[in-house]
Amino acid sequence: MRRLTGSIAGAAVLALALSACGSGDSTTTGGGGDTSALKGTGTGDTCKITTPVPIGAVFSLTGAAASYGESQKKGLELATEELKTMGGVTYDVKIEDDATDPQQGIAVFERFVTKDKKSLIIGPTLSNTAKQTDPIAQEGKTPVLAVSNTAAGITEIGDYIFRDSLTEGAVIPQTVDAAKAKFGLSKVVVMYSNDDAFTESGYQAFKAALDKSGVTITKTITFAKSDTNFRAQLTEAKGAAPEALIVSALIEAAVPLVTQARELGITVPIIGGNGFNSPKLMAGAGKSADGVVVGAAWNSASSGPENEAFLTAYRAKYSADPDQFAAQAYTGLKLVDAAVRAGCSGEREDIKTHLAELKDVPTALGKFTMTATRDADTPAVVQVVEGGKFAVLK
Amino acid sequence: MQQLLNGIFLGSIYALFAIGFTLVFGVLDRLNLAHSAVFSTSAFVGIELVTRAGLSIWVTLPIIFVFGGVLGLVIERVAFRPLKDRHDAHFAGLISSIALGAMFLALLQAVFGPDTRRFPPDAFPRQRIEFAGSTVSVLQLVIVAVAFALMVGLTLMVSRSRLGRGMRAVAENPHAARVLGIDVDRITALTFALSTALGGVAGVLFALNVNSAQISMGTSIELKGLAVIIVGGLGSLPGAMLGGLIVGLAEVFAVAYVGSSWRDVIAFGLLFAILLLRPQGIFGARKVREI
Amino acid sequence: MLEFVDAYASTITFMALTGVFAYSFYAVLVAGQLSLAQAGIASAAAFTSSLAVPAEPLFGVVPRLVVGIAVGMSVGAFLAFLLGLPVMRLRGVFLAIATLAFGEVVRILLINQSWTGGAQGLSFPKLVGIPQAWLALAAVAYWFWRLGGSRLGRAFAAIREDELAARAMGIDVSRHRMTAFVTSGAVAGLYGVMLAYFVRFAEPNAFGFSAAVDGLVTAVVGGTIFFIGPVLGSTFLTWLPELQRAIGVEAGWIRPFVSGLLLLLVILFLPGGLAALIPHRRRGIMTPPDAPLDLPALPAPGTPIASLRAIRKDYGGVHAVHEVDLDIAAGEIVGLIGPNGAGKTTLVNMLSGLVPPSGGEGTVVGIPLGSGVPAHRIALAGVSRTFQQIKLFNRLSALDNALVGAHRVSRPTMLRRLVLLPSARRDEKRALGQAFAQLTRVGLADRAHLPAGDLSYGDQRRLEIARALAAHPSLLILDEPAAGMNHVEAHLLSVLIRALAEDGVTVLLIEHNVRMVLETCTRVVVLDFGEVIAAGDPATIARDPRVVEAYLGAEDDQEEPA
Repeated sequence: MRRLTGSIAGAAVLALALSACGSGDSTTTGGGGDTSALKGTGTGDTCKITTPVPIGAVFSLTGAAASYGESQKKGLELATEELKTMGGVTYDVKIEDDATDPQQGIAVFERFVTKDKKSLIIGPTLSNTAKQTDPIAQEGKTPVLAVSNTAAGITEIGDYIFRDSLTEGAVIPQTVDAAKAKFGLSKVVVMYSNDDAFTESGYQAFKAALDKSGVTITKTITFAKSDTNFRAQLTEAKGAAPEALIVSALIEAAVPLVTQARELGITVPIIGGNGFNSPKLMAGAGKSADGVVVGAAWNSASSGPENEAFLTAYRAKYSADPDQFAAQAYTGLKLVDAAVRAGCSGEREDIKTHLAELKDVPTALGKFTMTATRDADTPAVVQVVEGGKFAVLK
Repeated sequence: MQQLLNGIFLGSIYALFAIGFTLVFGVLDRLNLAHSAVFSTSAFVGIELVTRAGLSIWVTLPIIFVFGGVLGLVIERVAFRPLKDRHDAHFAGLISSIALGAMFLALLQAVFGPDTRRFPPDAFPRQRIEFAGSTVSVLQLVIVAVAFALMVGLTLMVSRSRLGRGMRAVAENPHAARVLGIDVDRITALTFALSTALGGVAGVLFALNVNSAQISMGTSIELKGLAVIIVGGLGSLPGAMLGGLIVGLAEVFAVAYVGSSWRDVIAFGLLFAILLLRPQGIFGARKVREI
Repeated sequence: MLEFVDAYASTITFMALTGVFAYSFYAVLVAGQLSLAQAGIASAAAFTSSLAVPAEPLFGVVPRLVVGIAVGMSVGAFLAFLLGLPVMRLRGVFLAIATLAFGEVVRILLINQSWTGGAQGLSFPKLVGIPQAWLALAAVAYWFWRLGGSRLGRAFAAIREDELAARAMGIDVSRHRMTAFVTSGAVAGLYGVMLAYFVRFAEPNAFGFSAAVDGLVTAVVGGTIFFIGPVLGSTFLTWLPELQRAIGVEAGWIRPFVSGLLLLLVILFLPGGLAALIPHRRRGIMTPPDAPLDLPALPAPGTPIASLRAIRKDYGGVHAVHEVDLDIAAGEIVGLIGPNGAGKTTLVNMLSGLVPPSGGEGTVVGIPLGSGVPAHRIALAGVSRTFQQIKLFNRLSALDNALVGAHRVSRPTMLRRLVLLPSARRDEKRALGQAFAQLTRVGLADRAHLPAGDLSYGDQRRLEIARALAAHPSLLILDEPAAGMNHVEAHLLSVLIRALAEDGVTVLLIEHNVRMVLETCTRVVVLDFGEVIAAGDPATIARDPRVVEAYLGAEDDQEEPA
């Protein structure tokens, strides 16, 4: 038995080595070999490219970020399906799991860049992973379109790195202004999970915006991103008698936090960052979610035609409502498609050029323009939960 | 006052989780790191029973008790028994239980997906009681009551029943116990089963308390659980109960008076201090060295 | 092939880095300690180095990475030292939990600092690639390879197998454990720095409980006895996800399930880890090397070796030993007899320093007994012993057991082995010679290569004696060495003991085999209920009615129930 396990492991490693050295797999068309295979004729809707454009996607399908990765996968697969029916250009999208482990993310990126010669990589799910994986794509001159990275220092990695996800810094000032106008705030309590990059950047954005608006933060209370019992912290918050509770949290924490806040008798408005922007908020917190204000990078209630189509298609395919992760991943592939068609080429350089030039593209996220720093420019929206649904705050 | 109550409720759940841990360690000298996987799995299964099968929470809890127990039998049989006579049984048992726990969690994702699950809103009455200026929910009171009932029940069982006597014999000296005709394997299996049964119920109660269950919910509580059993004394049942309360209260008061960022530092600092000053914990017995 | 390296460059690098991390666990596991603080230490080292590494090479010459590594390893060693001081006396699970708690505290502290970037982490330039990573791994592996055959390495192994016996052989357990700790910290620091400068990023959360567990798993899967273990472990575990990807195991729950399953299988069926799969050359029957040790002369006959006055040991209300006076002079063979529970072993434990007296005075080989005197000091002064329950280093060979016994008379060789100095080889040969000579003396030369745990009961008893003799003791204490032996074996043992006395070794013999005691000893002391009830030459003792009543029973020729 001992020998057997060892031999199996040894043989397997050998097999892997041999398979890697040997002839390639199906996706070696494009990139290094035949340079004209990914260039097509025509433009826009009439563009025709004979070879499928190879796209790699890296999401966290297992591990701590698995629930976000799942959403992203669904959004991406929906977009892939829809693009298939359009004709002219097809995409060979390969989704890989990084298991919420940056080391695996790096390994996958490396392979996408050097061996599989993908024309573009979508992902990864977490910003902190991106800081470690994106440099590889940058060095390998492969464009990356981030669909959920909101931290600072992502697009700064290089000119091949793009994103369609609005940062908290872009959304929150609007949220704070709207909330202050509506509720007349002068003193608030801020709560956030300080062991997560996204929520911490959200906190920093909130703090800056609140300070700028002259709103006093009477207490700052932290928690851990995996916490689900907030009674101690909420009791402290309640004791400070704030006019509103400002929260930067991931959805897993947001739901119990909101529920428990109401249970403990906190009646003041709760204002959340982007992490709250998910149908899970209403599904999980029920009535407690009513009145919660959420600064969002995607307005699920928007009646724009692209969004309506997205919502309908998503519900039909998955029998559930999409969240922001799905919307951004879906939009991501659509934007890639727009860039590919603009130059009618699936080559890395051409995609890079045209992604940077995207302007006023209609998407489910609203009108999308790529800024000069390769960040997203879409209309942010301040939402409020009304009757179990997100509505725009007026 | 509210914080005091918060601490007690938090502590009672920590205690229920820890008591399973400490039972296995006290009787069998093994640390079962798959305990947290049982915790998570039971929470999910409990939610499933209430949501899909429409069972009431009162029926679900005993079912989960049995379910957790079965998981414990599996863990003992697969991860610990084959290692019984090995020189490095301690380390090996640690790793094998980690591996088995990881397998359970992977299966959990296979069946339930990676998303958070919740009880349906009407699973439990959401009444609140006002008490000395603080709010307490009926649910929280029930959780504390159930937790204490189980812990007291376990303590009585260990000190009064035949099984309990067998467990104490095995804890003292497994070889002697075997010579005296005690079926050590059966006792070992039952000890594991009992410990994970409690861990499973703890999982469901925990999920009820915050109305959410995630695959990873066991990891952070496992660390707290370690702190609890050290503070209370490894192998001591009353120690786990008291230790749970102490850690729960310490955490809550850390949030209130020190700053919530340092909350976990307090718990681990307490752990560290106890290990240095009084390693046997509050109720643990100091082992006499044999030469 | 080059294409392979290109496509898998990061995996190949991670293989090396994970191996380094696994070595930081190996460093403490080899001495039998389970420490889980390495992840936190690695993280502190990485962040600290970010503060210290300059933007340009130091003095224009020293590469930035080298500065980073120097800073990181120092920080790691220092933190391990700080942690080690309070936790040194903890064992097993307690040590594991304490170090785990320390790691968590470090993580939380670092997350709350602004200079670490908090949860958003810190960016690092890329200074590490495949060559640097593998060089680091090679250096670390080299260190542990040289550790394997050195006196230090044997001392670690002894502590791991049986700490008490190690103490009794003169090994300063606390100092050694601290050395293992600090080594582990330095290696963890190396890992932290190398990792950060490879992936260009570090965040405190990446070094938490899961990371610590991953490192431990890598070390245990690889094997914690042979130095190559961590490399094997990291190879296996780093390639596992890639392997699954390559053979098409779909993402999702299957991959972590398969990983967990494989880990479980390795743990259950490969006790020594992957390193046990490698057939390593078993030293066969050996010829004794002819490099004699320079051993000091034993005390001249008649010199006082041990002297106890009114020595007492109380356990709670029980007087295990009560007001005992005892003198032992060089050249004597003193027999200590008495019924079970008379206090013989307790007395001998006090003599060898394992247990401090509760009262009275005593001096052994010039060292006054007291609660501050550790056992290894007395052992180093020339007292050696065997134990009532055999305490051999079971997984070590008979020869290695004896070599540990020679700890006292052999010289440290680790540092010289690192630079491959021939004088180290010579010293090792001498120690080997001493050990082998003792094995020959007890008749175990042909079984020198066998693991001690595999020997027969009688052979194990003799091995314990050989181990004790390897220390060239002035006083040899034998605690029931003839237990379980038949008449013939007991007689041979008696002959051996007399020969030892002729060579100048003073012997204190506890035995229940009264015939053997009367045959072997020059003087006999009888204990009952913790007190000396008779002392004198064997013939007198055999006739003393008090002794007969207390111990031998009513009949004269009664054989002692063994």
